[in-house]
Amino acid sequence: MRVSESEESSRLLDEKLLRFMEQLELLEEKRAALNALIEQGWFSMSKARYSMGNKQVSALQYASEMEPLVCVHARTLDNGVVDFHTERVKQTCSNETGKDAKSIEDIGPKEEGVRRRVKSKKDISQNDASKEETSESAPEVKPQRKSDQIPQQEPLKWFGILVPQSLKQAQSSFKQVIELSAEIAALQSSVLNTRQELKHSMKDKQILQEKASAAQLDKEAD
Amino acid sequence: MAGRGKLIAVIGDEDTCTGFLLGGIGELNKNRKPNFLVVEKDTSITEIEETFRSFLARNDIGIILINQFIAEMIRHAIDAHLQSIPAVLEIPSKEHPYDASKDSILRRAKGMFSAEDFR
Repeated sequence: MRVSESEESSRLLDEKLLRFMEQLELLEEKRAALNALIEQGWFSMSKARYSMGNKQVSALQYASEMEPLVCVHARTLDNGVVDFHTERVKQTCSNETGKDAKSIEDIGPKEEGVRRRVKSKKDISQNDASKEETSESAPEVKPQRKSDQIPQQEPLKWFGILVPQSLKQAQSSFKQVIELSAEIAALQSSVLNTRQELKHSMKDKQILQEKASAAQLDKEAD
Repeated sequence: MAGRGKLIAVIGDEDTCTGFLLGGIGELNKNRKPNFLVVEKDTSITEIEETFRSFLARNDIGIILINQFIAEMIRHAIDAHLQSIPAVLEIPSKEHPYDASKDSILRRAKGMFSAEDFR
């Protein structure tokens, strides 16, 4: 009876150890992928900096208003393992297109305002009709500017309107890194959990072995 | 906020932070507190540690990403954090490649083969 019990506990211990090793191997693989992706991201960022200028793509250009475009959901499973998975915030896509349209509209009126000032200096004796036209366009400008108060959400635009392709590549690398980091966080949690289980199983086995040896000694004494 | 899920925080050098912010993790909350810290040459260890502890205390943060060379500076604080949420992930930096032997989690996992476990 005792032998079968100890055999069973040894088998469970082996299973857990194998699972632990598999998890560690997977963790190492994912770590390697994460490191490679981060390196790729930095390389693309450096390329972007090479074409945009040395001082570009720096912390000074971060927006003053930021909203997260990605969030992570943490779910604690029955065995105590925490599962992390990322989710992109979808609402921002529609907002972004709306803001794009606004920013495009905004360029026109600004130029018109400048042109008007130049005209007023040079052509003082210009006919009233043209002045009326500009004054008519002016009130249309104001509401558009007022409505454009919402902060920009696309981080690429912090660094310029027309950013190089390499910066977009850097962004996509880092997006993958974020997803992978959530997977690694979940894996780390399961590795630590399996380690804890192994520790408990080892202690159980030791207790069983001690009991078995004590019983054997009793038998020998009899 | 709670229904939307948790945030990912970053403590790292300029390029690491810029990269992750490009990925869309950046947030400035109502008190204008960011979920990232750009560590520069003149950033003190106390400041790093305080920021790390403030991230641990925030319940809207799910994962903290930290450059390994910065994690080395506040190793005691990272080793003392045993909860699963927020998870702490050590990542490489441009000048310092990732070293698995320094990683808190892997060192903890390795600990199972120490003599103490067999006693």
